[in-house]
Parts: sequence; C-alpha cells; structure tokens
Amino acid sequence: MTLVEFFRAAPVAPDILAPSLWLIIALPLLGAFITGVFGKMMGRANVQLVACAAVAGSFVLSLLAFWATSHHNPETGRLAAIFPNPFGIERDFVRYALAYDYGTWFSVGDFRVNFGLMVDHLSGILLLIITGVGFLIHLYSTSYMEHDAAYWRFFAYLNLFVAAMLTLVLADNLILLFVGWEGVGMASYLLIGFWYDDPAKAWAGRKAFVTNRIGDFAFLVGTFLLVLLVSAFTQQSNAADYSNAGTTAQHYTAALEQKGPVTFKGLEKMAEGLVDGSADKVDLSTPIEAGPLEGYTFGGVMTVAMLLFLLGAAGKSAQLPLYVWLPDAMAGPTPVSALIHAATMVTAGVYLFSRMSALLVLSPTAMATIAIIGALTSLLAALIAFAQDDIKKVLAYSTVSQLGIMFMGVGMGIFWAAVFHLMTHAFFKACLFLGAGSVMHGNGDETDIKKLGGLRKEMPWTWATFLVATLAITGIIPLSGFFSKDAILHGVHHNHLQGLEWVSSLVYYLGLLIAASTAFYMTRVYLLTFEGPRSKEARVAHAHESAWQMTLPLVVLAVLSVVAARYAFGIDFFNMTAQPVLDNFLSPVFSATKRITEASTLVALDTSRPQVVPDYLKAWAVALTGGGAAAFLYLRYFPSRVGQPDPAFIRAVRPLALNKFYVDELYELIVIRPVKFMSFLLFRVVDALVIDTVAVRGTAWVTARVGSALRYVQSGDAQAYAAVMAIALLGGMAYALIQVMQ
Amino acid sequence: MVPITYYLLLAAALFCMGMFGVLVRRNALVVFMSVELMLNAANLTFVSFARMRGDDLGHVSAFFVIAVAAAEAAIGLAIVIAVFRSRGSVLLEDLRTMKH
Repeated sequence: MTLVEFFRAAPVAPDILAPSLWLIIALPLLGAFITGVFGKMMGRANVQLVACAAVAGSFVLSLLAFWATSHHNPETGRLAAIFPNPFGIERDFVRYALAYDYGTWFSVGDFRVNFGLMVDHLSGILLLIITGVGFLIHLYSTSYMEHDAAYWRFFAYLNLFVAAMLTLVLADNLILLFVGWEGVGMASYLLIGFWYDDPAKAWAGRKAFVTNRIGDFAFLVGTFLLVLLVSAFTQQSNAADYSNAGTTAQHYTAALEQKGPVTFKGLEKMAEGLVDGSADKVDLSTPIEAGPLEGYTFGGVMTVAMLLFLLGAAGKSAQLPLYVWLPDAMAGPTPVSALIHAATMVTAGVYLFSRMSALLVLSPTAMATIAIIGALTSLLAALIAFAQDDIKKVLAYSTVSQLGIMFMGVGMGIFWAAVFHLMTHAFFKACLFLGAGSVMHGNGDETDIKKLGGLRKEMPWTWATFLVATLAITGIIPLSGFFSKDAILHGVHHNHLQGLEWVSSLVYYLGLLIAASTAFYMTRVYLLTFEGPRSKEARVAHAHESAWQMTLPLVVLAVLSVVAARYAFGIDFFNMTAQPVLDNFLSPVFSATKRITEASTLVALDTSRPQVVPDYLKAWAVALTGGGAAAFLYLRYFPSRVGQPDPAFIRAVRPLALNKFYVDELYELIVIRPVKFMSFLLFRVVDALVIDTVAVRGTAWVTARVGSALRYVQSGDAQAYAAVMAIALLGGMAYALIQVMQ
Repeated sequence: MVPITYYLLLAAALFCMGMFGVLVRRNALVVFMSVELMLNAANLTFVSFARMRGDDLGHVSAFFVIAVAAAEAAIGLAIVIAVFRSRGSVLLEDLRTMKH
C-alpha cells in the first residue's frame, strides 16, 4: 500500500463520522464542566487526567475527521467525503468535506440559523492544531501548574477554551462561528486574569475583554450587512446571476429557507453570483433597489462589510488599532500565552478571512486595507520588540508581528500561505512560549532576559528546542518558518489588486524589513537568554531543567516546526515549479475564490513558486542580516563596552521602543481619558444627581413630607371619617346631577 | 293616589335624619339606630319605585335589605357589647384607636 492509498482509506467513513462531529466540541466542554464543578473534591491527579483525556479524545476524533475528508470509497476508488451543496443544483457537490446539520438553532421570520458543523481541509488543519497543540499544552500545564492551588479552575478554563475554539472552526455559518468567537474571548479573559488577586493582572484581563468587545461589535454589524445583502441579492437577481454561481433561483431560495442566510456555502454562492457577467442583472456596481441599504451598490456594501470584519478580526487577532491587549495578556500563566495568545485564538481572524475568501476577493479596497494594516502592525510590533527585556513581552510582540504577516498574506490573496504560516507559527511560537515558561520555571519566575544568560548548559532540552524554534521564526532555510514566510512574501509581491497595484510593492518591501527585524529581535532574545555568561543578577544560582511533562511538548513542537516545511514543496519534492502540497491540499476550500478571481479582473492571483535563485537567497540574506546584526551587537559590541554609556543614537531610539512608541499613552489620551470623563459626568450628573438624588430620594422625601402633614387629619374619630365620606358623596352626587341636567 | 314624589321626599328626609344621627350622636347604640333608619329610608325608596314600575324587583331588594339589616344588627350589637365589656363605655369619643 502506498502512502497515498493509506491516507485515502480512513478508518471511519465520512458518512458514519459526520453525525458524531458534535462530540469533538462536547468532550472538552464536558471536561470543563467536570473539572470546574467537581474539580476541588477530585484532587489534582484526577483533574489533570480528565482535562488531558478530554482534549486527547477530541484530538483522536479530529484526526479521524481530518482523515475522513480525504477518504475514498474502497470499492469504487471514488471520493467519499462529499455532500450535496444545498445552495447549488443537484450535481453541485462540496468535495473533500463532511458536514452535518443538527437542525434549527433559532429562526425569526425568514431569518434562520442552523446548528451545522462542517469539516473541510481548512477547518481540519485548524482542528488538528487546536486539539494537538492544545493537548501538548495541557500536558505541559500539569507540570507547570503543579504548585498552584487553583489548578482545577485553570484546567476548567483551558478545556472551555478548547471547546469554544473548536466551535469557532467547526461552524458552518457566521452566527455559530460568532458563538465560538465570543467563547474564546471569554475563556481568554478568564485565563489572563487567572491570578486575579493581583490588580495588574485583573486589569490586563479587563483590557483584553473590552478591546475584543469593540471588534465583536463590528463583526456583528458586518454580519447584519451580509444578511441584508443576501436578501437584496435574492430580490434583484435574474437567472443569469444564478447560473454564474452554478445554481438556480429555486435551489438557492429553497436552501436559504432551509439553512438561513449566513452559511459560508450560501455566501460563497452569492459572491459568485455578484461577479460581472454578460446577461446578468446584479453585479458589484448595481445599486440595491429596496430595503435599508437602498441606493448603495452591492460592491460598496461588500467593502464596508469586509472592513467591519477587519475591525472584528483586528480585535481578536491583535492588529492595529486594537492590538494593545495582547502584550498585556502575558499576565496570564505561560501555557495560556502559548495556546491562546500565540497558537490558536489570535489566528481566528486569519481563519475568518480564509473562510470568507470568496467574499473578500470581491473587494480589492478591503484587501488592500487588510494588507496595509497587517504590514504596519507587523512592523510596529517588531520595532517595539527590539527593546523589550521581558522574555514573554518580546514573544508577545513577535506574535503580533507574525499575525501581521498572516494578515498581509490574507490581504493580498495568498490564502494558502497565510494558513501555512498560521500552522508553522502555531508550532514554533507555542514552542517558544513553552520554552520561555520552562526558563521561568527553572529560574524562579525570572522574566528579564538581562538577568538570565548562560542557560545552554543548564537547560539542554529547553535550549535545543528554543534554538530550533528561533531559527524557524527567524527564517533560516531548512525550517518551516522560512518557507511559510517566504510563500507569503512571494505571493504578496506577485498578486495584484485592481487599481491598487502599488500596494503589493509597498507591502512586499515592508515585509522584507519585518523579516530582518524579526531575525534581529529573536536572535537578541536567544543570545541573552541562553548564550554568554550567567548574569550576576540571576535569581537562582543554578537553573534546573524542567520535568518530562514540560520538555516532551517542547521536543514535539520543535520537531513539528522542522517537518512542517515539507508542505511548502510539491508532491514531487525536487520539482521546483510544482504546486506546493498545502496549496494543492487547500484548493477545494478556495475553489469558489479561484473561480471568482478567474471570472473577474478585480484581483490577479499568481501561482508561481518562489525559486532558489533569487527568492530564497534574498530571503535568507535578509534573515542573516538581521540575525547577524543582533549577534554582532550582543556578542561583541555591548560586552566589550560594559561600564561605558551607550552611543547617542541608541540612547535616542531605545526609550521610544521601550515605551512601545507611547501607543498606550496615546490611547490613554484620546480614548480612555474622554471616555472616563464622559463616564464621570454620567456618574456625577445623571446617576448621582438626577436619578439618585432627584428621582429616588426625591420621591421618598416628597412622600414623607406629605404623609407627615396629612397625619393630623387622621384623628381616630369614626364620625369624622364618616362625615368626610358623606361630604364627598354629596359632592359627587352634586357633580353627577349637574352633568345630568346639562 | 299619592304621587311617588312624596314617598321619595319622605325617604330622603328619613335618610338625612339617619345620617345626621350617625354623624353627631355620641352613644354607639343611638348611632346604630340611626343606621337602621337610613337602611329603612332606602327600603322605602325601593318599595316606592316597585309600586311605580308595577313589578317585584323593588320588593325583592327591600326584603334583601331587611335580611342584611337583621344580620348586621346581630353582629353590630355583639360588637357594642364586646366594646362595653372591654372599655366600660359605649361613647364614640372614647373609642379613638384608629389613629396613625
């Protein structure tokens, strides 16, 4: 049996597995429930067992699901993992995917959301990253959190996060995705503020939550715009529009009634229908005739919706202007930083845009904005990382920077490379964070790289894995990070957005600068932590290597960050013009996107491969320049000048980077202060004065005054009461009589 | 035949006397009697209207009021006796407990 045949024969056939997809989410959710509710009485070992087993079970199921997406029927040899696209005509199938619809979640009028799950090659990769890296990090945490009393709470939150993240990637519609989107935000908040008795850490959690909420609001508004767009499309389109999309009006509207307007498959069909054709009625420049969006064009609304999704993704994936929460999120335990704030949650924005790539390629403006935002974020974060001395802060800014690179890829339409970088980044950045955690664990929780040093001998496993991961992120040639970054930069350079051709050159050259900067700061961190003599200010005299639960995940992740490079080559390894494995693997996911870009002139996607000469050599030269500069500065220049003041230009630039270019201060000035002032006004004037004093206490005061005045009337004399009643009756009768007489 | 107006005027006069008694007399027993006077003024009105309309509705109402008045008299007198036993007086000005 060849390797290909092996991977095409899944142990569980797709149609058997599909109804059980919910178990992938349910297992970690159950784990969260058990460890959260009964964890305190179960004891440490049982909690660890339940939490790890839940994620391990989920990993096995994910593996089966991933395997099943490529399953072939053993008798016919035909593809088995297919299901009829409900939005298409009868012969229209979604290939290499399995899906199951568990029925209506809720429906209001003609708006409907189904609880539908789908695994295709994109969500399959994400599933394996989440559960696989998630399991390694659970294992790591059993040792890392061994001295913490609230271990059960930690594992409950961690399992909850995994369940929410799996919901996010398994959802077949935007609303269910949003449930996972919010769920990971909540789990992230809970875990950043895990040590909530330290006010600074509790604040960091709150900052992350509030920043994310801003993005989530934009996400929701974007979703609503898409719902309106779908209804406008069904009202105005003609048969030619539907045939452009490979469907008919009856099939499309029937599927809308059955599945609701926010499913990704339905949105893809609409996107195909919006492409300009000869006989069709609706394309991007058609104005919408009725409804709340009357007068706006389809293309304009699509651009606005995509920009709103960009703001949403910027919140979750820490891009400008909402990146400020991620560096502070390092207040949480280190395994959390590795899992949530490096490998999985923060890549949700990249996943979202890859999932909706068919809509994105309709709007070159939105794509250019995404690419530029990504490049600027990446550059800014890389420059800030130059001067940070906290090992976790450097890695945090590095994460922001790498996410920016992924956004560059998504923005310029090289989706497979962005997903590839997402994957390799999950491996090497999780490895770096766990390595940093191991360093902290062995050095009395010291995080200042200036007070570490010389750990190479004392922590050999941590050193070796950290070195591999550093080389991977730096982009040294045989490692995965080099190929993923280079694939993005190559795609950025060769793809073109209509009317915005200058963007690809701009983003490409910024990308080279970012690559050099990445090499510089990563080399700096590595050298200061592991090389050279041990710092005189070290907290403990001799560091100790961590337990196997901590080193094993490091080794696995380091190996993964090496071997993942295979996906950048063709199936025939030595053919340098063949389509890369991952590009080929993801092509069913991006098939609608490809059709749209081929049918329209909006975006020109390039399919060439980077070559050894000149692309690889150029990228390698850039990485070596950055790394070499750092090596020169921190191995030769600074050690030889101990005791002397730094040169003038460093003294001028360093405070700027050290203080993060004063972005937090700028936000304080233009956002937080005005909001606080408004809140103060509302609190003092509206709440304290109008509501509390006038409305609430005023009512009580008036009632008391009136009561104390009227109590003298209440003499206790029954005859006086009777007299009042009689007079009142008399008056009433007199009034009635007058009315009758008139 | 005496016109109905006279019956109604008589009933009104009786009612006013009863009400005056309720409002100004000090002794609870006299007040009680005045209440009976008011009830009977109402009865007189019912019966006069019954006669004018020539049906039995007014008579029924009058008997109903008489039955209620009997029950009321029994309970009311029992209350007066109970008050006298506990306080040694049936004068209304001594019974000012309905204060704030």
